[in-house]
Amino acid sequence: MEIKIRKIGSDEQEYIEIGCHKTDERINEIVRFLRSRQGTVDGTKEDIQYQIPLTDIFYIESVDDRTFIYLEKDCYESRRRLCEFEGILSSRSFVRISKSVIVDLMKVVAIRPALNGRFLCRLTNGEEVMISRKYVPDFKEKLKG
Amino acid sequence: MREHIKESLSSFFIITALINIAMFVLGTIYRPEQRFGYEVFIYPPLNAALSCIPHLVMFSKKELTIKQVIIRKTIQLVLIIAIMLAFIMGDSGFDAKVAAGISVSVVIIFIAVHIIQWYLDLRTAEKMTEDLKTYLAKSETSV
Repeated sequence: MEIKIRKIGSDEQEYIEIGCHKTDERINEIVRFLRSRQGTVDGTKEDIQYQIPLTDIFYIESVDDRTFIYLEKDCYESRRRLCEFEGILSSRSFVRISKSVIVDLMKVVAIRPALNGRFLCRLTNGEEVMISRKYVPDFKEKLKG
Repeated sequence: MREHIKESLSSFFIITALINIAMFVLGTIYRPEQRFGYEVFIYPPLNAALSCIPHLVMFSKKELTIKQVIIRKTIQLVLIIAIMLAFIMGDSGFDAKVAAGISVSVVIIFIAVHIIQWYLDLRTAEKMTEDLKTYLAKSETSV
């Protein structure tokens, strides 16, 4: 595979583009590596600590003073509090949707109404998370960028 | 609290409109010859305001579960019926036939209010989904 590096002006946004015949495991591995360089957080599962790429996170939930990081199928526990995550991730595609949940908008497929002025976000893995009435304006604001 | 007040206000105006419609329909059917003075204009907003008082049972600092919402909504409906019966039949005395009519009207309006609010939420959800698609498309090009 040929590797090309092209210098661009400081006013342009940096990017990486991969030209390939098909998206196979080799390409996925490169993409995973690149994504891991975009930021990770610590998470533990069965007493083993892992570095979780931010791009793999679906949502983060706080339950009884414990914080859990949910990926497509896995769940990890974190020592950080939800408000810390909110501070770290607010500049990215993450948004607080209730007192206990922060969700990555990149993993949301659709939004539908729930009871009592609340809404449900359907995620790409089929899970649903609730948007509280209080956080609906923030959610709308985030979508507008 | 702010969301709670906004929702109560939204309910108030929807209920006022629906009571007007209910008065028109029921009046046309049962008492087409009846004539009223200007005081009749105060009854729909007054009834709507009274109907909004039981909305306080929905207030909670914690996020309610679906089950809790359904239970509280049921309590709210029972309280609205009780208030309406007391307000309308307080002077004239209890009449089972009239009470049944009032209760059925309240239930119909209660359901209609929720259908309208759900429809408004559906429109909001559709708009948010559209905005989400735009957001994702923008993010895809910038990642």
